[in-house]
Amino acid sequence: MTGLRVRHRGTVALDSVDLTLGTGVHGLLGPNGAGKTSLIRVLATVARPSAGRVELLGRDTAGRRALGEVRARLGYLPQEFGYYPGFTVREFVAYVAWLKELPAAGTPAAVERAVARVGLADRADAKVRTLSGGMVRRLGVAQAIVNEPDLLLLDEPTAGLDPEQRVEFRELLRELGASTTVVVSTHLVEDVAAACTEVTLLDAGRVAYRGTPGALAALGETSGGPGDHPVERGYTAALRAHRATEAPR
Amino acid sequence: MTSNGHLLHARSRGLPASLAALAGTTGFAVWAAARLDGFLDPDRRVPVVALAPLLAAAVIGVSLRSPSEELDGTAVRPWWPRRLTQLAGLTALSAALLPLAVLGHPEVFGPPAMIRNTLGCTGVTAAAAVLLGARLSWLPAFGYVSAVYLGSAGAHSGAATVWAWPMQPGTQPGAWAAALGAFTVGGALYAVRGARPEGPRGGG
Repeated sequence: MTGLRVRHRGTVALDSVDLTLGTGVHGLLGPNGAGKTSLIRVLATVARPSAGRVELLGRDTAGRRALGEVRARLGYLPQEFGYYPGFTVREFVAYVAWLKELPAAGTPAAVERAVARVGLADRADAKVRTLSGGMVRRLGVAQAIVNEPDLLLLDEPTAGLDPEQRVEFRELLRELGASTTVVVSTHLVEDVAAACTEVTLLDAGRVAYRGTPGALAALGETSGGPGDHPVERGYTAALRAHRATEAPR
Repeated sequence: MTSNGHLLHARSRGLPASLAALAGTTGFAVWAAARLDGFLDPDRRVPVVALAPLLAAAVIGVSLRSPSEELDGTAVRPWWPRRLTQLAGLTALSAALLPLAVLGHPEVFGPPAMIRNTLGCTGVTAAAAVLLGARLSWLPAFGYVSAVYLGSAGAHSGAATVWAWPMQPGTQPGAWAAALGAFTVGGALYAVRGARPEGPRGGG
């Protein structure tokens, strides 16, 4: 994407963002209101930028036909995904597969595979309203991967997961990132350190830092920013450095 | 899976509950019309002809809400045929059931007036769902029909046959044009735009 500008509720959520994302797990970090969700929503094609160009999977998303092709190849877990309480786990994932126009013959197997990958196979026939918060989040991941997407967008995927589930989820992220472009918005630096191949730090709608988790951690060690984790120290150091350069503007 | 997909879609839009509510509305209309002794005095059917379509439109309007607006936005399937089918199907069902409450006297407040008001109220409600969101979509039609019900008694001008369409006899062409216009505009708006999103959209 180049020159991306997004407005949200009368304010500029993203401004002059240039980003290129390849295969791997990309962590999006930043304070509340930095523009992480806005960026994910634009990538998911549910929000349109007010300026700039977005090319996903080699297609410019401005065209209606391209939009359909891109949507068939992307998976999206919104922050609030609004499930249907009366559906079972299997029905919900099957419904999303239908919306994605997955071939009917392959859908049951795709649903079983997605449900199993997030560890919900034993709850496949349970009503969604009976699931715990963490299970609902895993259901959200299952619907996002049912079409085996080439671009996977996850907004706060580990919110509500217990430590064991988070460890398992990071393993799934690494597995998916081997062949897919995965973009993960999160506040949890441990997730970024453990699962991401690249980090993009957003602040006030602009890209404040890009690099690997290792480089961000090294920045924290050399700059001496506050924090309990090397990546956390790098996060605060990068934010401060960015704000210092932005301030005179 | 295709037929199963359609069934899941119908369930995702709360179709069983909507059908039950429309059946209940029809039952209420039949009961209310019988109590009014409207067969001997058809003008006494006006409250039923005004209120029952409003209730049906409210049921339809609330059913236009999607619990998963964000996920809907990434669907490959185009939404307008599904929206149109839902709106037209529920409206047709209401227009078929509600006249059972006011059989006879088509020249005044009989089946034609009931069908016309069902179309008009549903059209206003569908447009309101686009502008206000499905949850409050019933409000403008409720306010308008209530105002016309209370204020149109002394209005007999030519324009009144249009703006007071919910209170006109079933044979009045101006009232039919207004109701059909409302249904066409509201239905087209909803099919193209969908209900206004109401869920939280993070700004993080």
